[in-house]
Amino acid sequence: MRWSHWVRLRKIVQILSFAFFIYLTFAVVERRIAPPLADIFFRFDPLSALGSMLASRQWIPRLGLAVITVLLTLLVGRAWCGWICPLGTLLEWVSFKRARDILVKGVKVENSGVKGVSILRPYDRLRKLKYFLLVAVLLMVLLGSLSLLSIDPLAIFTRTMTTSILPALFYGINSLERVLYQVSFLSPAVDWFDGLVRGKILPVEQPLFSQNLAIAILFFGILALNLLAHRFWCRYLCPLGALLGLLSKFSLFRPMIGTACTHCARCAQVCRPGAIQAKAGELHIQPSECTFCLDCLANCQPGEMHLRPQVRPAPKEDFDLSRREALGAIVTGTAAVLLMGSELHRRQPSPWRIRPPGVDDEDAFLSTCLRCSQCMKICPTTALQPALTEAGLEGLWTPVVVPRLGYCDYGCTACSQVCPSGAIPKLPLEEKRLAVIGTARIDRDRCLPWASATTCVVCEEMCPTPDKSIRLEEATVIDDYGMDLIVQRPTVLREVCIGCGICEEHCPLPGEAAIRVYDA
Amino acid sequence: MKRSLSRREFIHLAAVSAAGAILAGCTPEGTQPAEPAALPEASATQPPTEAGNAPSAPSESSAGATEVPTTRPVPTQPKADEAYLSVVHGSDPAAITKAALDALGGMKRFVKSGADVIIKPNICTDYHPPEYAITTNPTVIATLVTLALGAGAKRVRVMDYPFGGTPDSAYAISGIADAVEAAGGEMHVMSLPKYKTYQIEGAKSMRSAEVYPDIMEADVLINVPIAKHHGSSRLTLAAKNLMGVVLDRNIMHMGLHKRIADLASLVRPTLTLIDGVRILMNNGPTGGNLNDVKQLDTVIASHDLVCVDAYATGWFDITPSDVPYIGACADLGLGTLDWQSVKLEEISL
Repeated sequence: MRWSHWVRLRKIVQILSFAFFIYLTFAVVERRIAPPLADIFFRFDPLSALGSMLASRQWIPRLGLAVITVLLTLLVGRAWCGWICPLGTLLEWVSFKRARDILVKGVKVENSGVKGVSILRPYDRLRKLKYFLLVAVLLMVLLGSLSLLSIDPLAIFTRTMTTSILPALFYGINSLERVLYQVSFLSPAVDWFDGLVRGKILPVEQPLFSQNLAIAILFFGILALNLLAHRFWCRYLCPLGALLGLLSKFSLFRPMIGTACTHCARCAQVCRPGAIQAKAGELHIQPSECTFCLDCLANCQPGEMHLRPQVRPAPKEDFDLSRREALGAIVTGTAAVLLMGSELHRRQPSPWRIRPPGVDDEDAFLSTCLRCSQCMKICPTTALQPALTEAGLEGLWTPVVVPRLGYCDYGCTACSQVCPSGAIPKLPLEEKRLAVIGTARIDRDRCLPWASATTCVVCEEMCPTPDKSIRLEEATVIDDYGMDLIVQRPTVLREVCIGCGICEEHCPLPGEAAIRVYDA
Repeated sequence: MKRSLSRREFIHLAAVSAAGAILAGCTPEGTQPAEPAALPEASATQPPTEAGNAPSAPSESSAGATEVPTTRPVPTQPKADEAYLSVVHGSDPAAITKAALDALGGMKRFVKSGADVIIKPNICTDYHPPEYAITTNPTVIATLVTLALGAGAKRVRVMDYPFGGTPDSAYAISGIADAVEAAGGEMHVMSLPKYKTYQIEGAKSMRSAEVYPDIMEADVLINVPIAKHHGSSRLTLAAKNLMGVVLDRNIMHMGLHKRIADLASLVRPTLTLIDGVRILMNNGPTGGNLNDVKQLDTVIASHDLVCVDAYATGWFDITPSDVPYIGACADLGLGTLDWQSVKLEEISL
């Protein structure tokens, strides 16, 4: 097979991998079963695996697949980045090449040593940043904090799809349908389309997530950085790329330049990640930056690029961390852990820190949860929301139940089925139904039968426990017209309530509910 | 020099304009306030009438309007040889369902050839399988699908909007999805952007409601509740089951009983069966205790939903007056509370 065929194969693999990732973000839970392989990308992610296993000090068998990615990297380098990573693929496709050429013209042009050939190598020393981040992440992980895994590329992509892009898309489709339904002769066509998507690839009701804009800004910011350099995120920032990059220094097969090289520097020109340096006619390949896209091999005119086994590790580069810089990263990571560990919420946990069912130990949860948003994506009621302040900065973007937005469905275990690290334990439905996530309390100053002489028992009706967690007491009150009125006043039975929050969601009061679930 | 528009730029522009158009199109619809205000007592409401002077069917011109002042046609009265109310006991849910229909004159009395039929069971949550008596018996529903198709129905769709869990999971757990699909019917997921606001003429409490339009436009609507204990309304029966077709159920809870009656006057089912194969005696409507389930092996059917509701209160040892929405429906002239005086056919198989 010629190298150009391999390049084509790479593109096909990228498309398939990307398409599968997108498919998984669209798949919804059907008949209580989450789609198979829902968490497959995270299970291959070595940063997530290493992070959660180190931080929680346990072997997590489900994430053992990441070993395959490590072995692959030790074999051929950062093929994950060039072939599989969906965020990397997106950044490669949405490259803004033309705009970038205009923007960065003259930033830094390297003399390739060959007349008429110039190579843009902006901000090369910035590559340090990702190694700095990686060391900081690993240090935090060693000290038990997974907070920075929120910048794992898969987590960023999944979170953005879940909280921003899917809801926006859903809103667009719903709005369009609403308009088209006004045109009566289009109804059958809209019905047909609606039947295809609603409950199948999109949820039934509009999903809404807090911080959707902030999360989208982070994501589109990463995309916009492509205006400065091709795959800016992958080159300069991605901690997973840094981890794989370090491993790539030891990979067995690396592109090598043969002796008959004509020094045309074409390879350096086509290299997308800019991993080939051309200085004064000398070409130098940096394996830690190579994404194994094989473009250099396919484009070498004399055919003097080879993929040969090598045992000697690659030499140190300018942008590798110096001892002092590594120390800086260690101090940064430590400081972050110390500061987050001494936040106020440690003493005074937020009453709204309601975790998914089965999560009992907050510290164990924080050191296992990958911040990947898979649970939020699959939750059919969008009860699970990315935490902002509920669990301190440490718990940013971990899942919390916000009952006013969605209740924890009594018949559902979807979040535990898709949690890659097992931070949300897999419980059989019977056990999950007994898992207490919070306790409901009634605000008698607002509750209609208590405060306003109005009949209402919606909370009691909704309550899913076989013996209702809400007791009704009859009382005779005087209504607005001065007449006697018999109302039924609800009281929560704390021994029975599991905190699912369906009462809070359906409480008919506008704004804040008169029955609210507090962290148990 | 100015370049001509490239294809890519054109696509960008087109996408941006389309997005703008979508956003412009999603302004809140409807100019009239939809909030139901309390109305003065209506003096005379239309009693059940002969088919001849039934209100006209939804007119074509009203399609597409946000406020559609229309009601479903009044159910047809039985002929002399047909029962007004049928009550059938027996251990085979399929057989008693069929017998209940036969006593009323057969499915052909309600379903004409080529009719578009909707069956509205009670599929309130995805919590428990049918043995727990929180969702309508799947065999009863499947039998109705078969009978309707046998009578020449063009299509038979089954739908409800659960308050606990997603429609798909609730349809599946209730056993209704499998049974209906095996019988040749379709499970339909109600689409939120499709709901329309309908004015309710002669309403006592709720002047308008947002209702799923397919329910209003179907040729035949078969209402098939399961009889259950219920917190606020005491029992959930036929009229209460219609709440599943309303978008905003919260507003219905203020003055629940009158509003259920107002809704029933808008959404008049062609035929009502109450599933009494198993009934839920306590902890309703969500259930979860097999101890609360009573095996009754009965279905009752009539074109008159007030009459079946009135009859079914007896299963719980109470009277229609204990369930105020039944009386409120009768006050609106939707049917008769006096099931003892109608032509009742009781069969034991």
